[in-house]
Amino acid sequence: MSNTDSPRLDPQPSSGERLHALDAVRGFALLLGVAFHATLSFLPGIPPGIWSMVDNSPSPLLSDAGFVAHIFRMSLFFFIAGFFARMLYHKLGKRGFWANRALRIGVPLVVGWIILWPIIVAIWSAGMNKFFGGHVPAMPPMPTVPGAFPLTHLWFLYQLLLLYVAVTVVRAFIVPFDRAGRVRCFVDMVVTSSLRLPVAVLLLGIPVALALIAQPMWFYWMSIPTPDGSLIPQVPAMAGFGTAFAFGWLVNRATGALQAIERGWLPNLLLAVAGTAWLMHTMHASPMAQPGLTKTIYALVLGVTIWGWVLGLTGAALRFLSNYSATRRYIADASYWIYLAHLPVVAGLAVWVGQWPVSWMLKYPFILVVSFAVLFGSYHLLVRHSFIGQLLNGRKYPWRKPKLEPVAPQATVAPPAGTDGRGPVAELRAITKKYGTTVALNDVNIDLRPGELLAVLGPNGAGKTTAISLWLGLTEADSGEVTLLGGSPLEIERRRGLGVMMQDVEMYKELRVRELITLASSYYAQPLAVDETLRRAGITALANRPYGKLSGGQKRQTQFAVAICGRPRVLFLDEPSVGLDVQARELLWLNVRLLLAEGCSIVLTTHYLEEAEALATRVAVLARGRVIASGSVPEMRALVARRQISCESKISVDEVRTWPGVIEASRVHTRLNIVAAEAEPMVRRLLAEDPDLRRLEVREAGLAEAFTELTKEAA
Amino acid sequence: MNALALEADAGMLTPRRTVLAYLTEIRFEFMRLLRNPALVAPVMLIPVALYLLFAVVIWGDAVARDRGTAIFFFAAFSVMSVTMPALFSISSSLGMEREMGLMQFKRAQPAPAGSWLVAKIVCGVVFCLLAYLPMLVAAIWAGTLPLDAGQMVSMSLAMMVGAIPFCALGLMMGALVKGSAAPGYANVIYLPGCYLSGLFFPLKESMLGQAHLWPQFYVNQLALQAVGISKPWFVSTQMAIGALLGFTVLFSAVAIWKLARKG
Repeated sequence: MSNTDSPRLDPQPSSGERLHALDAVRGFALLLGVAFHATLSFLPGIPPGIWSMVDNSPSPLLSDAGFVAHIFRMSLFFFIAGFFARMLYHKLGKRGFWANRALRIGVPLVVGWIILWPIIVAIWSAGMNKFFGGHVPAMPPMPTVPGAFPLTHLWFLYQLLLLYVAVTVVRAFIVPFDRAGRVRCFVDMVVTSSLRLPVAVLLLGIPVALALIAQPMWFYWMSIPTPDGSLIPQVPAMAGFGTAFAFGWLVNRATGALQAIERGWLPNLLLAVAGTAWLMHTMHASPMAQPGLTKTIYALVLGVTIWGWVLGLTGAALRFLSNYSATRRYIADASYWIYLAHLPVVAGLAVWVGQWPVSWMLKYPFILVVSFAVLFGSYHLLVRHSFIGQLLNGRKYPWRKPKLEPVAPQATVAPPAGTDGRGPVAELRAITKKYGTTVALNDVNIDLRPGELLAVLGPNGAGKTTAISLWLGLTEADSGEVTLLGGSPLEIERRRGLGVMMQDVEMYKELRVRELITLASSYYAQPLAVDETLRRAGITALANRPYGKLSGGQKRQTQFAVAICGRPRVLFLDEPSVGLDVQARELLWLNVRLLLAEGCSIVLTTHYLEEAEALATRVAVLARGRVIASGSVPEMRALVARRQISCESKISVDEVRTWPGVIEASRVHTRLNIVAAEAEPMVRRLLAEDPDLRRLEVREAGLAEAFTELTKEAA
Repeated sequence: MNALALEADAGMLTPRRTVLAYLTEIRFEFMRLLRNPALVAPVMLIPVALYLLFAVVIWGDAVARDRGTAIFFFAAFSVMSVTMPALFSISSSLGMEREMGLMQFKRAQPAPAGSWLVAKIVCGVVFCLLAYLPMLVAAIWAGTLPLDAGQMVSMSLAMMVGAIPFCALGLMMGALVKGSAAPGYANVIYLPGCYLSGLFFPLKESMLGQAHLWPQFYVNQLALQAVGISKPWFVSTQMAIGALLGFTVLFSAVAIWKLARKG
């Protein structure tokens, strides 16, 4: 988040992914404005003076492209602005909010206008002179408009200030009358439900449609007419952009609204594409709106299409751009400056190339490339590291990056002893996940600490696979928070620290083992050498065998090799030893211990309880979607306070069963087996009753017995 | 940003390694296709065999007499040769991969964004080229292709561009249906499209409206216009490219949407 409408926030490890996506959307909307303005000199039939230049190579294609961009770009911007505005309001309070907005919006509006307006006038004048060969005819006088003022492209800042005032006033009326928050909860529910159903695009399109239908003069190409010529609020802009801003504000309030937008990205985009196609078709038939049914339908379709684009693009960004990217962050940071400064650059270039005897196919890319080069260059040299960056983005970047401590490759990290003082490397916090009416996980909390092996145990259907899927980013929780290596598992940077061995996965049967490892290794920054991976997994002899011709156990070994080839910091092993022979299993255990010694953290699910007992630092037992017990292996054993006593004795089983403290007694040949709550009194009594007893053994309950007992109780 | 996040960021791929990751994905995807003779052989042989049967054996005289007929035949079977592998190979292989749980596994791995998608489309196009080249060689050898070298290159480029939406259609089919069922469903779309798009015979005026629904129609239009053949009912080159782009975006979006949700 940044710039015009939001505070500067660093990427958040947990919830930050949402903000990265919205930051990207806001940057996209602003940069699209640059591309849009660059099309204007190429519009066929554009009257002189409307734009800085009328190019000698007009383009219907650019006209259509400009129309599409103009449909939604400012609504998209105001939607995101509303979202961030509420976030800022609640972070800074009313006074802080207004102080912040005055600096970030008010100052750029006033100072920007004072600097840019004379330059824009000069460029327009040069363009007119060039177009008319130095003999500019007298222009018809502009119609008198109340409050007329040439806001230029900075109108959006003025509009933002108007909307901040409006939302502050509305809030001041609502809050005192809704102290319990019932009305606001109801509104939240309506917002989220309308997005889920999904009818939001239809409902949100109505206000803008009504405002446009009422417009006596409406040129279809302009979509929502920009309020750039008057200080008096214009009805279509207030309705269109005001709805966008208000809905953005409400989406920030409503729980689950962003998720609903994310889920509906494709239907919304398809709706937007279909609506745009129809609008273009209608606009080509008659560019100026005539009163009647066509105008009404056009306005309604336009309203729906605007919201299709806004929600579709926002949802797609949430789906695909939620991770942190340094490049996207840089572009988003730069976009505010670029939009503020772009108009003279783009308009000036349009004048310069306007009469070149060259096709628009060369001129338009030329204008874009030169404009972006100048604008990004000026941002980097003049803004990013100066007080202007501080003013616009709330942050002045130092010229030199602060030096970070180099991070050693995982294989050479010193083995931590248990927890190394840092937080968990992976965590499920208050997770609930349902499939239909089936509750797979219910308010589950599990964490994985650095350098430990956590065995997740449970009967079939306990929720183990769901827990692993959440950590791998394969499914999303209904509520709660999932973190992996300090961020969301959906972020690719987090998954680069991850190794996975999944159950029920086949690999490409046509590829050889070496090729599979080479392919997986290519995804990581510092993978093991392929030969080293093969050696560690004990499958060097299989290197050139096609995967499809391997036995079940050999396939599991290959999958293990693929899991460890990237030097993972966190390794998920889902039933890793199924199908392995004794030697292969011993090698697997050896490798697991080696990885633990190197500092790798491991989550293991297994039905072989002796495997968990042999390897686990901690155990978490899941049953019916809940964690019913967790702790170290000795702690788990202690949960079942039982001892197994076995000896060769002549005492009858029936008699033993009557003794206090005996849970179970049986005889196998000469051997008497007793399960008792406590061992010492039982041994004393046995020796008293039968002084000749031999080969006495006392054993505490194993993990298997603890597991059986715990899951029986949970059932 | 906490220490864990910083360390995770330190594991980011360099641009060189990112490019290498894409190339590796493409390389192994291609090797998989080549190692699947049951798929390669039919798509490489059937179109060329049908072309030789119809354009040389059955309609040889008409093809020899009329340049337009010769180009019409070549374009029709070339469209068939490039669209078949794109659709069938990708839909069935992706469907099988989904059944094997591989797409879920790939989602858990840190592959660069869309690398599997790029690999599938690039290999699909290369595979189409491999299927198209025998057609071209056969037509030149049989003397049934009255085009100069420049026109051949133009038509070949049009064919390769036309293969892309079929790669995307293959992705969509593979994302929606099982691997074993994918060829069946693909045929349900592919065969009617070949006939109703006017690929093999000129359409009556009453049937022209529905032809716009089939991607084959636009590929054929693009290929014919690339060698200078144009008729009144043809769409413009821009519209053909725009429609193919639209199909590609639509099919890819559905595939990505489905795979991103379920794998």
